[in-house]
Amino acid sequence: MSTDKSSAASLSEAAVPVIACKGLWKVFGDAPESKLQDALTQSGGDARAAADLLIKDGMIAAVRDATFEVHAGEIFVIMGLSGSGKSTMIRCISRLMESAGGSIEIDGEDILKASPKRLIELRRTKLGMVFQHFGLFPHMTVLDNVAFPLKMQGQNKQTRHARALEVINLVGLEGRENSYPRELSGGQRQRVGIARSLAADPELWFLDEPFSALDPLIRRQLQDEFLGIQSRLKKSIVFITHDIAEALKLADRIAIMRDGEIIQIGTPTEIVLNPVDDYVREFSRDVAKGRHARVASVMTAAKTIPAPKKGQPALRLDMTLEDALASCISTYKPVTVIDDQGKAIGVVDPGDLAAALQVEAT
Amino acid sequence: MLTAIFRESGARAAGLSLLAGVICWILVPYVSWLTVWPTAWTLPTTQWIGGGVGWFLELMKPTGRGLAYLLEFPMDWTRLTLVNTPWPMTIGLVTALGWYIGGWRLSALGAVGLAFVLASGYWNESMSTLSLVAISVPLALVIGGAIGLLANEYPRFKGPVQSVLDVMQTIPTFAYLTPLLVLFGFGPVVGLIASAIYAAPPMARNVILGLERVDPEVREAAIMSGGTRTQQLFQVEIPTASQQIMVGVNQCLMAALSMVIIAAVIGGFNDIGWEVLLTMRKAQFGQALLAGLVIVVFAVVIDRMSGALAQQRQQHDKRVVWGLIVLGIVASLLTWGQLPNVSDYAFFDPSAEYVDRSLGAFTAANGAALDGIKNGAMFYMLLPLRIGLDDAVLTFTWGFDWTAGMTLGLFAVAFAVGLLLAWRGHVVGGILTVVAVGILHTGVSQLPWPFVMVGIGAVAWVSGGRRLSIICVAMLVMILLSDLWERSLLSLYLCGAAVFACAVLGALTGLLCAVSPLAWRIVQPICDMLQTIPLFVFLIPVLMFFQIGEFSAFLAIIAYAIVPMVRYTRHGLTTTPEDLIEAAVSSGATGPQIMREVRIPFAAPTILLGLNQTILYAFAMLVIAALIGTTGLGQSIYLALGKADVGLGLAAGAAMAMLAMIADRLVQGFADEQRKALGLNG
Ligand SMILES: Nc1ncnc2c1ncn2[C@@H]1O[C@H](COP(=O)(O)OP(=O)(O)O)[C@@H](O)[C@H]1O
Ligand SMILES: [Mg+2]
Repeated sequence: MSTDKSSAASLSEAAVPVIACKGLWKVFGDAPESKLQDALTQSGGDARAAADLLIKDGMIAAVRDATFEVHAGEIFVIMGLSGSGKSTMIRCISRLMESAGGSIEIDGEDILKASPKRLIELRRTKLGMVFQHFGLFPHMTVLDNVAFPLKMQGQNKQTRHARALEVINLVGLEGRENSYPRELSGGQRQRVGIARSLAADPELWFLDEPFSALDPLIRRQLQDEFLGIQSRLKKSIVFITHDIAEALKLADRIAIMRDGEIIQIGTPTEIVLNPVDDYVREFSRDVAKGRHARVASVMTAAKTIPAPKKGQPALRLDMTLEDALASCISTYKPVTVIDDQGKAIGVVDPGDLAAALQVEAT
Repeated sequence: MLTAIFRESGARAAGLSLLAGVICWILVPYVSWLTVWPTAWTLPTTQWIGGGVGWFLELMKPTGRGLAYLLEFPMDWTRLTLVNTPWPMTIGLVTALGWYIGGWRLSALGAVGLAFVLASGYWNESMSTLSLVAISVPLALVIGGAIGLLANEYPRFKGPVQSVLDVMQTIPTFAYLTPLLVLFGFGPVVGLIASAIYAAPPMARNVILGLERVDPEVREAAIMSGGTRTQQLFQVEIPTASQQIMVGVNQCLMAALSMVIIAAVIGGFNDIGWEVLLTMRKAQFGQALLAGLVIVVFAVVIDRMSGALAQQRQQHDKRVVWGLIVLGIVASLLTWGQLPNVSDYAFFDPSAEYVDRSLGAFTAANGAALDGIKNGAMFYMLLPLRIGLDDAVLTFTWGFDWTAGMTLGLFAVAFAVGLLLAWRGHVVGGILTVVAVGILHTGVSQLPWPFVMVGIGAVAWVSGGRRLSIICVAMLVMILLSDLWERSLLSLYLCGAAVFACAVLGALTGLLCAVSPLAWRIVQPICDMLQTIPLFVFLIPVLMFFQIGEFSAFLAIIAYAIVPMVRYTRHGLTTTPEDLIEAAVSSGATGPQIMREVRIPFAAPTILLGLNQTILYAFAMLVIAALIGTTGLGQSIYLALGKADVGLGLAAGAAMAMLAMIADRLVQGFADEQRKALGLNG
């Protein structure tokens, strides 16, 4: 799964990114823009020092100097503890909030310069958003909720209801279209939220902790359905979560935030194997690393690499540790590792393998 | 740490008050202007306001009179329509409306209520009143709604708008009437406009509140769906806030009804409020009670029906609605021209006469007992509080005269108790005991002004800091300089006595209701009823038994103002978080221990808010009670209305509003303090 995704991402890297944020700042308080400017000049452009200055001034620097790109068709997950500025960041991108500094481009368009009219147009056609607590309109039926974005566009009742039914089927809510939100379970409500955000067929899909308010079982179910929908629709997605397991499961790339800063961006494997600091390491501590770390991380380039024995399959470079362990659990000798072309490139000592898993498990 | 500081500042404030009291005590015999502010030193504020506002009103008068003239048309039309619609039709429509809103219950309520009104013979008067409400409420809804939307759309205005609404809530009802009287001339239009002005703030408040409470994600969902601001507002935010807005409609209706009835004191309109006033003045209490009941019936019907709109409700069969309407039409057609004049229905006149006769017999038989109650309360409670023990204790009242020796003894005891308390660690309590005894000895109405200012300033400091303290003292200085000081103290005394009684009785009742569900089942409908009854009606029963005078006013204020105290106390005591109770139970606490150690401390902020409401209610009723004889600001406002004296009316009204605001802020401050101490909402 992960390989074809990353290749899809790398393919589009040359093209214009769907979202390009550079040095994005969001500051809460009075006169945020000028205060940020002052702080940046005073600190000589250093983001951390500037943030400290702002805090000393009684301001809240919720997003600090964030720079990242989201590519077409990828699931870009923003992960961090609650209060780390994730929601604030996508609200700046969707202009639900005004940022204090930096630039945001969507498909190459400077979105900070967009007029109110252009913004409405963008939201009607290009952007969709799903909320943590669903944000359903309590006085409307499921059908009217889902059809609402189309109604805003001025579509007539028949057209918009037909389209709404399509999306309602897509999220598996057929038969509930005349219910009111209060009559639905949490999982069903979020399906409505997802359907509504997809009704206008947006290219860019924001999801702000869409599954965090749900029970674990329902959450897993919706995650799977989400991946199913995405495999058909191929949206460009910014997905927010505070749950590392969810991030690793869904993401093509993950951005990790702490106190408003993005401290690492990378694929799930990179995040798990090469955490930039203890904060990130701490996140992946409880994750079953066997499922995310690859053989490459424990392989040693031995002087003499024995050819793979008959009957015992060699390990592949991109195998997860868990799979590797399963396939060589009975041997006590180093096992050969082969690359894509089947060439033997190193060995793994089963002891190292077990030790790696052991360490991660504690 | 925090509590230590708080205690310390509390002790300092109490000490300061005591010091001011002692200095005043010593100086008063030599410096008379400490108690009686010389008229020569006052500013002619009343005249200034009268002149300034009077000039403005004169300027606006042509416009006002024009508007009054224009408003008279819709008013007359509505009245003629309502009065001339055959009653079977009206009852049919109201019953149908009741069904539509709330099924058979409300439908039955409407039918029975209107049948009662019909049978009472007050149908036409009621329809006159209703026509005023019918015009003023839409006005109030539009004005209030527009203000609410404006405040919501332009956050800059929100703060100022809310302060204005706060102030409007504290301005006494009669004070509105005087300038309107000058502007629009005598007549029902004044009542109409006054009630529109009076009823708009609750609407505005609830619109603001409702829109504020719209879930931010719902708001964002509307934006992200690509709605324009208008689309967001009208298709998402307002419908989402509709329940809160309907609460506003309900409050607006009740306020309008209340004001329309109060405005009857202006006269000139044959409405039900006027009927109450008239019969009360003629001491026809049976009829007054009957007319009062008609008002209550209207209030209840309007309140329950509009209240039901603010709740989740299920659909009721529409066919019944049409059936009831058709029934009304058919009945009207069948009886067309044959119905006797509605004013001739007088099914309850015998009952009214019976009430009068029985009341006569009762007062004749129990006059001594009633006088005993009244005089007891006056001589032993109200009078000492008003003029102090030294003046109130006379041979005529207490059987002996107050002597200097008694003063000495009283203070000796007070100091002893105070010292004991201080020694036990309750420094504030100790000082306050001495101060309280001092106040009781002097009498509230004769307190030296420096003491009042220092005392209130100090309390304000403790409650809300320097800013509040300065504001409070500035307001008091304004009152002092405006020659309204004595009247203010009189109002303060009566209000204070009533609030004190409410606090004690209300807290006890609330406690009882919190402990016993049975008690609450009995008390709750009484509270509901008391809160629905327009202010005016409270005067009837107290007058019946205790005639005109301060004691009747005192009782009327208590009857009206006690409700929030009961409600909030019970609510506070019964909504302690379950886990706290469980923790206490598992620590082995008994029921009374849980009450004392967990429930009561936790309920304190809520109870304080109840006290706050009680104070505001008491001030509101104080003015109405001027009709049955109080002294002080209320009386001035009422007199000003009679003389169309804008200056006096507004100045006294403003003084009253200031007193109410001071009390409001002080209590709110303490409630906030408590809440913070408990870690509730920050
Ligand atoms: N409207 C606001 N005003 C002031 N501070 C805010 C506001 N919204 C969010 N914040 C602050 O910004 C920080 C980031 O919040 P948020 O983006 O909601 O975090 P997350 O979504 O990662 O949990 C928090 O410290 C929060 O208190
Ligand atoms: Mg968030």
